[in-house]
Amino acid sequence: MRQILAIAWKDALLRFSGRSELLFFIVLPIVFTMLIGGATSGSGDSRLPVLVVDEDQGELAAELTQALQRSTAIRPVLRDRAAAEADFAGDDFPALVVIPAGFSTVLRAGTPVALELRTLPDSVNALAARQAIQAAADAVARASLAAAGSVAQAERLRPFATEAERTAYFEDALARARAAFDAAPARLSVTQPVNAAALAADDAGAQASAGQLITWVLIPLLATSALFAYERNGGTLRRLLTTPAGKGTYLLGVIAGQLGLALVQMLLLVGFGAVVLRLNWGSSPAGLALLLVTFGLAATALGTTLGTFIKTEGQASGLSIMLGMTLALLGGCWYPSEFFPEVAQTAARLLPTTWAMQGLTDLVIRGQDIAAVLPEAAVLLGFAAVFFTTGVARFRYE
Amino acid sequence: MKKIFIIGWKDLMLVLRDRAALLLMLAAPLVLTLALGFVSGRFSGQANPSGLADIPVVVVNHDGGQLGTALAEVFASDDLAELLAATTTASDAEARRQVDDDLAAAAVIIPAGFSSSVIPAFDTGATTAPVAVELYANPARPVGAGVVETIVAGFLSEVETAQVTGRVTFDQLLASGRLAPEQASGAVAEIARGLMEGQSSGALITLQTPSADPAAEAGDDFDVMAFFAPGMAMLFLMYTVTHGGRSLLAERQAGTLPRLLSTPTSPAQVLAGKVYGIYLTGAAQVGVLVLASSLLFSLRWGDPLGVAVLILVVAAAATGWGLLLAAFARTPAQAGSLGSALMLLFGILGGSFVPAGNFPGWLQALSRLTPNAWGLEGFTTLARGGSLAGLALPLAALLSMAAILFAAAVLVFRRKS
Repeated sequence: MRQILAIAWKDALLRFSGRSELLFFIVLPIVFTMLIGGATSGSGDSRLPVLVVDEDQGELAAELTQALQRSTAIRPVLRDRAAAEADFAGDDFPALVVIPAGFSTVLRAGTPVALELRTLPDSVNALAARQAIQAAADAVARASLAAAGSVAQAERLRPFATEAERTAYFEDALARARAAFDAAPARLSVTQPVNAAALAADDAGAQASAGQLITWVLIPLLATSALFAYERNGGTLRRLLTTPAGKGTYLLGVIAGQLGLALVQMLLLVGFGAVVLRLNWGSSPAGLALLLVTFGLAATALGTTLGTFIKTEGQASGLSIMLGMTLALLGGCWYPSEFFPEVAQTAARLLPTTWAMQGLTDLVIRGQDIAAVLPEAAVLLGFAAVFFTTGVARFRYE
Repeated sequence: MKKIFIIGWKDLMLVLRDRAALLLMLAAPLVLTLALGFVSGRFSGQANPSGLADIPVVVVNHDGGQLGTALAEVFASDDLAELLAATTTASDAEARRQVDDDLAAAAVIIPAGFSSSVIPAFDTGATTAPVAVELYANPARPVGAGVVETIVAGFLSEVETAQVTGRVTFDQLLASGRLAPEQASGAVAEIARGLMEGQSSGALITLQTPSADPAAEAGDDFDVMAFFAPGMAMLFLMYTVTHGGRSLLAERQAGTLPRLLSTPTSPAQVLAGKVYGIYLTGAAQVGVLVLASSLLFSLRWGDPLGVAVLILVVAAAATGWGLLLAAFARTPAQAGSLGSALMLLFGILGGSFVPAGNFPGWLQALSRLTPNAWGLEGFTTLARGGSLAGLALPLAALLSMAAILFAAAVLVFRRKS
């Protein structure tokens, strides 16, 4: 046991011999969490900015702008046409919508009217903006639509004597329709699983920080492989042969050291998220601990196995960054896997990162308890066993 | 001058022999681009490149009436077949379980009596007490659940409009004397039919995209990879240049720098040669990545002249950062880890991971300090069909960045030696 601890302590000292290791240990993970969390949710108004040009200046145009303002997806930014076009060319706004002159008059008469919409070509945001604009437009138009329907039926039964009579009938219909819409009962109720609702979480922020935690713990754990290369190339690994410490003791020492560091790192990141970013980490500390420890084991074991394949420290650091990022990406740590096509979601089940992310999602977003993450923890332990066995079998001192 | 080229060429050859370096310079960006393409559905023939497709949704219809059936049919319609993967079940509990187990993005539960709460009874003209359609949303799939909510809300809005239209029409017909009260019940069916015919004309406000908008036309075949590939290329270009800066320090530590200086070569020539080597390696790396992704992923980068010029200029700006880092770092190891940190930091700031457009204003301004942001802007412009002329701003920004960073690096180097 003392030997294992000595080896673990030696590796920790080795890793932090340069202060720049702290960058990867804590600084970059925090920066990434804040930026990715902030970009997807964040404080303040995170709705998509949409440029709005009001060339009508009428009552219904103002109503449309208000409807846009109420949208949960977009936030209107009013500009005159020249300024709006300049801003749109700058690519920072996914959509530009123009309310044409005469909009209120035409709509009031119950006649169809078109808004000019321009969207950025490649952007998912543009798609969302289009839907939100259409929804706002429909909300404004529906009173006019109802009034126009009423006028048409009246006209079918008995034509209006004068245009003034028709207009008066339409205005009356419009007022009745508006009153009816205002008094309409709620016909949709959106609910969430009880536990999740109790968390009242910033879901996007929680998802981002869980994903970043996995990414940034994984990369240095994969770089465990560099330790082997360092000792092997320096000849110190051979020297270990002369001590009474066996192969198993040495490997256990290395793994214990790296896992210990990873646990400290995870603790710091969870703490930072909870205290500074005010993110929730779920309501089950035991579940969280179980999941993080099993993930740490799987990742360290993978790093150990990698260590038996690579030859130089340079290869190890390159491979750990590349592999770590790829595994994190495919595991849904960067972008929610709900965006992935079916085949990618299925294939990703072969990766430990997918299981870790799924477990964290259960805890921090669904608010489930330790029982819910037992399957994920078991799979992660399985990964650890397979990687560790491979690593030990392939391990050579020279 | 020849000496500078020779030193630069030597450094490029050295890199080509370093398998570990090649791994990060070429393999990593290609693998990550490939992975991004994979998860975004680029290779599975998905029509919608946003990645939102086949959103799993489960529908429970307890309403025996026509509205419940109509809403359930919306989810089964051909129009939404690509966006949604809808299933039905008879039990609320089963539907909720599917959401809880992450098998569905949302459950739509249509309560009993929904139709009769909206459509007035023929005989009495009255509706039953209002009931609400429940959307049980999966918090782990906020986007998918949001899409389902939009669809349900859209349907309900139409229902409400139809209901209000019917009521207003009747009330007004009666109030204006066009319809006598005793005729009312007989006219219901006919008026309802007339209203329905009128309503089928669709939305009163439509959204029109100007056909002369070139961006909209190009949008049809914009390739998401045209965003990922340059993003990853820029990310790992930063690795190459900081790695190059590291080699400057390594050469001093290994003693080959004094040896170079013992030849009839001036320190300025040696430095220029090393810088040229870094620049050459960076430009070659991006060039190879562009070529490889064109061949492997049949990705169109756009105007070849524009792409070539942008590669040369963005490599210069990135080299500037590599030099500045080498000027400040004390040991090769320090330059190495600071370099990796800088690469990742610039990657996230410059939009290689998430679009910088989503950041708050001050961060967007900060992202302009990275060659990544300008390079990405340039490459996206080209992929959207732009030409060299459209690159004036990014090129000018990158060139000024290069000039300022070179000057700063030289100043720091001078002070240190």
